[in-house]
Formats: sequence, structure tokens, C-alpha cells
Amino acid sequence: MSERTVRDGGATPRSNLRRDASRDPRHSGDGAIAPQRHDDPALLAVDDLHVEFDTYGGVVKAVRGVSFSVRAGKTLAIVGESGCGKSVTVQSIMGLIPMPPGRITSGTAMLDGIDVIQQKVVEGEDIRGSRIGMIFQDPMSSMNPTMTVGDQIAETLEVHRGYTRSQAAARAVELLGMTHIPEPAERAKQYPFAFSGGMLQRAIIAMAIACEPDILIADEPTTALDVTIQAQILDLLDELQATTGMAIILITHNLGVVARLADDVAVMYAGQIVEKGSSEELFHQCAHPYTLGLRAAMPGNDPTREQGLQAIEGTPPDMFDPPRGCSYFARCPHAMRLCEANLPERFEVTPHHYSSCWLQHPASPQEVPGLYRGAAA
Amino acid sequence: MFRYTVKRLIQGVITVWFIATATFIAMHSVPGDPLSGERLTNEEIRANLEARYGLDRPLFEQYLIYMGNMTRGDFGISFTQQNRRVNDIIREHFPVSATLGILAVVFAALGGILWGALTALFRNRLPDVVIMFLVILGISVPSFVVAGLSQLGLTSLNALFGVSILPVAGWGTLLHMIVPSLVLGLGTMAFLTRLMRSSMLEIINADFVRTARSKGLPPTRIFLKHQLRNAILPVITVLGPAIAAITTGGFVVELVFAIPGLGRYFVQAVQQLDYTVIMGTTVFYGAFLVFMVILVDLVYGFIDPRVRLE
Repeated sequence: MSERTVRDGGATPRSNLRRDASRDPRHSGDGAIAPQRHDDPALLAVDDLHVEFDTYGGVVKAVRGVSFSVRAGKTLAIVGESGCGKSVTVQSIMGLIPMPPGRITSGTAMLDGIDVIQQKVVEGEDIRGSRIGMIFQDPMSSMNPTMTVGDQIAETLEVHRGYTRSQAAARAVELLGMTHIPEPAERAKQYPFAFSGGMLQRAIIAMAIACEPDILIADEPTTALDVTIQAQILDLLDELQATTGMAIILITHNLGVVARLADDVAVMYAGQIVEKGSSEELFHQCAHPYTLGLRAAMPGNDPTREQGLQAIEGTPPDMFDPPRGCSYFARCPHAMRLCEANLPERFEVTPHHYSSCWLQHPASPQEVPGLYRGAAA
Repeated sequence: MFRYTVKRLIQGVITVWFIATATFIAMHSVPGDPLSGERLTNEEIRANLEARYGLDRPLFEQYLIYMGNMTRGDFGISFTQQNRRVNDIIREHFPVSATLGILAVVFAALGGILWGALTALFRNRLPDVVIMFLVILGISVPSFVVAGLSQLGLTSLNALFGVSILPVAGWGTLLHMIVPSLVLGLGTMAFLTRLMRSSMLEIINADFVRTARSKGLPPTRIFLKHQLRNAILPVITVLGPAIAAITTGGFVVELVFAIPGLGRYFVQAVQQLDYTVIMGTTVFYGAFLVFMVILVDLVYGFIDPRVRLE
């Protein structure tokens, strides 16, 4: 709290931005994998999160026991195909899923000793907006059409930091400048309809980081934008992380984005995390057949190779009645008899690199090309 | 914005001219005239009166004379109420109708927005079911029934307490205005409640409301600045026509509650073919409504920035 009080009292808020290049993940390691980095303490630790939705067809078990942690100043990417529960996971943490029909049946998300799933307001201040910021998929519909962009940014500062209207308005212009919006003073007075999609996403980022949160949750921030704008937004996130030292939780289904930004990756399938580890490990020592399938499905840009898109056969399981065993069983080319009825244990492939797949069991007989077998196997 | 306002005002003048012309033609197409009353015994008196009021001239000339007088703000003298100028009738009785109408519109708008937002927030739960049932009643029961029933209720209430809590009819004090304006605004309130409910349901889980929640804003602020302000837009759009319906439709309620409003003269004039009063009241109401619609559109521009540019 003391540190926050000091930050709140600053007359020139911009001077409080932490400029610490050594925290930039790209400056941290020399080799492909630097295990010592995993010893960073977890900033946000999510443990055994379960989320259900009541629908006319029955109860959908959207998230089934998800655990992960976010390290300060690092980027965690949560990847997976549509409907795997990645957005529901972060929206549950932020208290944004409509309840009913949604229901968080168990799980904790600890931020500085406080379970943010149970308690959103700490010492009179909502942690949303102040300690955790969030940006969304579709910028065009994510801003209030009847308020100026500047007012919407200023609003957060007035509520959380107790700024006066003029202070907040001045800071909003600075924030728009930080996200590289040209003529920020003019732009702040305009309404969202006067902005393009990419500009609006920048403004939303400015809004989310207004109170210098410790964590920025980006829920598919580039999905609704065209490719050149996508790259600009990713560069912006990267730059802001380097200047502010905030952690980022990046929800995406784009492995290219993951390779570019993420320090840690969690791969989700059917409401569960099937593999997690550092970005390098996931790409070079991939230890789960689903991750392997995702990587094979990535379109390449090598013109000499003539190959079609390699899709993963089949569809994700029915979440009304999730399978008893491994949820990937039906689509897995390497499935064994054991997989059908037995939920895979979580195997530690290398320190802090986990895979929930029976192939990692020491007694597993199969040799799968491309699949990394950990020390346990 | 200035150009837009001027453009709308010019359009308004054209509309009023059209209303006046159409009324003039329609009025003279009806068989008979103000002088076909019972007391005119012979042709000579009739011819004298026709000459006096200019009714013997060709219709087009009458039209030109009337329009000329109207643009100078003179609506002429009533045929049936001797020596009463139409301007005086409007000046004396319109403020009563306007007060009643404005109160009714305020009741309708506030009630509609409040009940609509409430039903949306409690969707499919008890408050929603109860209010929506009452809304159906409010829309389908005509105002003269509601007016009569409310008078019956008032007399029983006053009898129960032995003193007059609220007057049953008449005009004069604020207490006289409460029940008639509620009755007059009821149908519109019910209609606006339905509109507000559906527009609020669309907004309640909109993406930008989710954004507002993710900013950790207090629920009251989210409700007022993010949900209500956007949900209210369709309600404001229909408020112009609603004001029209209420002020012109006040005749029945004025009659039941014995309120000396303009509505009575408006209807009487049509029955008695009192040319100048028909023209005066119609053109005046028309101009009033056109002005209200323009006003509502201008206000709309202040609430929804997207409209301002056009």
C-alpha cells in the first residue's frame, strides 16, 4: 500500500513510470532457455479455477481446473482454439462473466495475498482498472459511443486516483501520446466513431494502462484488426511493457503472436491447460501432442514448400459432458488405450515445464516423432 | 450545427404552410359553412354576412387573404363566438393545455425511462413481470376509461378520509393538475417503458459496458454514464411525436376533468365549421408540434455525438 500511496500522490504522474530496461524479457537471457528466470515470484497465481454456465442444453463446464501464474514484468500467453475457455478464464478473474448464467464453482486468483475472485475491492479501491487493466477483442464496440475518448480515459483516473477533471484530462492526453496517437490533444476531444479500429485499440490500451496496473490482460487484442495494424499494436504492447514493467496476460490463438511476445505459454484445450512452460520450450521442446498439432497447423511462408494447411482432425469435445479421460483423446494421433478413461497426470518435463499427457509417463512405450520426452520419461 | 438548425427551421416553416393549406382545402370541401346555422332566416341577411366575412369571394382569393393575415400573426375573428378573436382564444386557453401536456410528458418520460430500466435490470423476475403486465394495461385501456376510473377512485378516497385530498375535477392549483396529467401521460409512459426496456436490454451487456466494468467503475456510474445514456437515445427520438400525441390528445382528458384547455375549442370548432377557429387552432398546434420535433432533434444531437455532423 505504501508504494501505491507514493505513486498516487505524484504531481507529475508520468515521472512514476518505471523505466527499467533490464526487465525487458528480450534482454534477459543468452541461450535459448534460461531456467533461472523461473524463480521470479508469481505476481498473480491462479489455482484450480472451475467455471460453469447454465444453458438450456444443460451445464457447460467451460473451465475445468485451470492453474497458472504470471510473473512480474513478463508476458504469459494463453493459447488454444475457439471455445477452449481462455477468454472465460480471464473474464472470471476480472468478474466480467454474467452471473447467472455463469458460475465460478471453485478456484482462487491470488494477487498480493488477496483472492481477487472473491474480493474485487481492496481498501476502497477496485483492483480492476487500478491493478489489473484489460483490453478487448473488438475495439469498435468496446468504447462508449456517447463519451469522448479523453473522458473515458480520464474517468478511470478520477475514480481510482482521485484526480480532478482537469488533471485527469491532461493525463489522458499524455497517455494517448504514449500510445503514439498523433495530435493527442485534438483526439482526446473526439468521440470513438471518429477513430479507426487500430487507433481505437491504442486508445483502449491507453485507458487500460492509465493507472499503471501491474497486469494488463489482453483478450485477443489484434483479432479484429488487419495485419499491418496487428503488428503495430503488438509493438506498442511490447514497448509499453518495457517502459512500465507491467506483466501481460495475452489471450490469443495466433502462435506467431506468441512467439513474438510471450515469455511463458499455457496451452488450453477443452477448459484445461494441457501444457505450459517457457515460450522457447513450447516451440522447441514441445511435450504435448496437442501443442505439436497446433504447431504443425501453423501456416508457413516458405514458397519452395508446397504443402496445404495441416489441420487437426476432428472437433473439440462436447463440454456439456466432457470426457472422463484425456479431453484430447478423440483427436490425438498417438492416443493409447489408457488415455480414454484416465485423466492424465501433470508431468514435469523439465523444471517449470509441464505436460498433461500419458506419453510423458516413464512406462509409456511410444516414441512420437517431434515430441519432447522429459526426464521423467 | 447552426446551418443544421436553420435548415430544420426552414423545413418547419414549409411544413406549417402545408398544414395550413391542406386544412383550408379540407375545411372548405365539407358541405355547409359557418353561416348554415338555424338563425339565419332570409337570403339577404346571409348575403350581408357573407360579404362581411369575405365568404362571397372566390376560394383562392379567400385563401390569399387568410394566408396574408396569418403571416402577420392574425388568425381572425370567431364565427360562432361573437367578437372573440381567435388569437385571444389561443392566448387564454393554450397555457392550460400546455401546462397539462408538459406535465404529462414529464411524467411519461421519467416514468417510462425509470420503469423501462428497472424491468431490464430485473428481466424475467417479479418486478419485470408485474410492470410489464401494467404496461399492457396502460397501452390498451383508453384514456377516457382511465380518467373516469381515477375520478371514481378519487371520490371514494376523499369520502374515506372525510376531506378533499385531491380535487376530482377543475383547474387552478397544482393539486388539480396531478391526476389529469398522470392519466394523460399514462399511455405514452407505457409505450416508452416498452421501448426503454428493449433498448436497455440491448445495452446491458454491450461490449463497452464490459469495458466499463473492467475499469473498476462504481455500478452507479456504469448505470448512469454508460448504460442509461446510451439506452435513452431511442426514447428521445420518439419523444417529439409523443409530445404531439399528448398535447393534441388532451381533449378527452380535458373534457372529463372539466379543464378549460384549448382542446375543447379545437373540437367544437370542427363540429360548428367555425372556419377561423379551425384554421387558427390547427395551424397553431401544427406549428407547436413541428417546433417540438425540431427541438427534440437538436437535443438528440447533444446526447448522441454521431448525429451532430449530419
